[in-house]
Amino acid sequence: MRLVRAEALKLVRRRGLMVWSFLLTVGAVLIAEIVLVTLHAVNPAKHGPAGGASNLEHFAFLLAGLGNVAAIIIGATAGTQDVSNGVFRDLVVTGRKRAALFNARVLGALLVFLPLLALGFAVAVGGSFLFAGNLPHPTAADIAKYIEYAVAICGVDIVLAVGLAAFASSRVVVGVLIAWNAIVSHLLIAIGSLGGSRKLIDVAAAEHFAPRHAVGSTIAMSTAAALLVLAGWTVVFLQAGRFWTNRMDA
Amino acid sequence: METVIETTALTKRFGDRAAIDGVDLTVPAGVAFGFLGPNGAGKTTLIRTLLGLTRATSGEISLLGLPQPAKRAEALARVGAIVEEPKFHPHLTGRENLKIVAAARDRAAESRIPDALERVGLGQRANDRVKTYSLGMRQRLGIARCLIADPALLILDEPMNGLDPAGILEMRHLIRAFVAEGRTVFLSSHLLDEVERTCDHVAIVDRGRIIVQGGVEEIAARGDPTLLVEVDNAEAARRALASDSRVEKIEEEGSGLRLTLGDGLPIAEVNRTLVQAGVAVSRLEPARATLEETFLAITSRLEGNE
Repeated sequence: MRLVRAEALKLVRRRGLMVWSFLLTVGAVLIAEIVLVTLHAVNPAKHGPAGGASNLEHFAFLLAGLGNVAAIIIGATAGTQDVSNGVFRDLVVTGRKRAALFNARVLGALLVFLPLLALGFAVAVGGSFLFAGNLPHPTAADIAKYIEYAVAICGVDIVLAVGLAAFASSRVVVGVLIAWNAIVSHLLIAIGSLGGSRKLIDVAAAEHFAPRHAVGSTIAMSTAAALLVLAGWTVVFLQAGRFWTNRMDA
Repeated sequence: METVIETTALTKRFGDRAAIDGVDLTVPAGVAFGFLGPNGAGKTTLIRTLLGLTRATSGEISLLGLPQPAKRAEALARVGAIVEEPKFHPHLTGRENLKIVAAARDRAAESRIPDALERVGLGQRANDRVKTYSLGMRQRLGIARCLIADPALLILDEPMNGLDPAGILEMRHLIRAFVAEGRTVFLSSHLLDEVERTCDHVAIVDRGRIIVQGGVEEIAARGDPTLLVEVDNAEAARRALASDSRVEKIEEEGSGLRLTLGDGLPIAEVNRTLVQAGVAVSRLEPARATLEETFLAITSRLEGNE
């Protein structure tokens, strides 16, 4: 746990990283809510209330999309900062196992990211009740579903980023994962001739948990299958990162 | 005498090139041990191999009496090391950087941080970000990072690099203080003079091989005897001595000459030769070879043999 806290310390002391991560999670939801509240206040006839179940769905989608970018940036930073700052060798010469150092990066990144995601979600849920007006409130099932979605897409990506960061610089990791999530995976999902093999794409599995309006673009699969695919990607990237961290010259 | 580092036929190859080649090294406990060699001789590679940062191609290593890499964690728990220049997270303070490493060490390590910072004179700057530190301060913070392990053995790679004269003096005092506390300090350097001033024992390495190892005095004594000569006419003296094959080398030094004497040439005979040549001699002083001269003599002999 001391190693994990140390990893978190390294991350939270990066002012730029924390500001951007806050903006991409809590900030994005806050801004969206402020815009919707303002529009409703200016022209209630044209713009409905800023809260309610339907707006929470939008906020959840926004939070997962932008929070995912924050997750990748935090994961890539956690995965590379020891090596890029030349400190990795100083940790290795303590005699601590390299696998333990790698595991601490993953947990440290989650320790920093998940509270931001939770806070962003709390703001979204709070706003959906506070500004619901005449719209129906979200149900507990809705909220649980959106949390699953955000955690599935962001939680998995933070682990992928840390794993991939054992092999590449943080910029490369961020570029590759954002390109994969935003473009490449969706192109592959759109290729019908790939058939059922598209279920193996992590983004397709994460979208199984997506809010209703995005469901049309997803590949149909069971929750168990989606979880299995996400677990598979996580395990593969963790093992690869751990393997390379063990093997590399420090 | 107890040994803290022992290697047997240690070899590290990068492709066809042997960075260290069959090294048998013995470092006794409780001394400052200089690992001396020119740049590219294999000093850092040996240190990296000792610490498990890179794998040896072949050979055996024992650290603090524990075989490596089998008992790596146990041995490294009592080793503090700076490999190449000390590196830190620049966005963290000095104290936070030590906390990061303390988290990877035993539970008592964090409690040693304040003392370690005071010891290296960084108590007042401990809460400043490392990116504002000078190179000398980083070197000292690197030492503090070693000290939080309460090490029996400190391995310092070129610890004088980049330090100003005051910093070098301070580092020398720190190293001697560690030895006085019963710790062993293994330091690599290409600064012969510094090793001679700081260390009790030395190993000279060249092109991945240890040429000689032992006490500093003992190794320096292996150098050829030299003689400092002050005369009224250096050129005439040079001419007079050049014909004697037992005078191996004649160099100008200040207003006089430094002679490297071969075996069997008494100093009195040098004096006689000069006087007979009409040269007035005002000083004849036998000089102890420095480690530097011995090192150069040893390495130039090696080059001559190739």
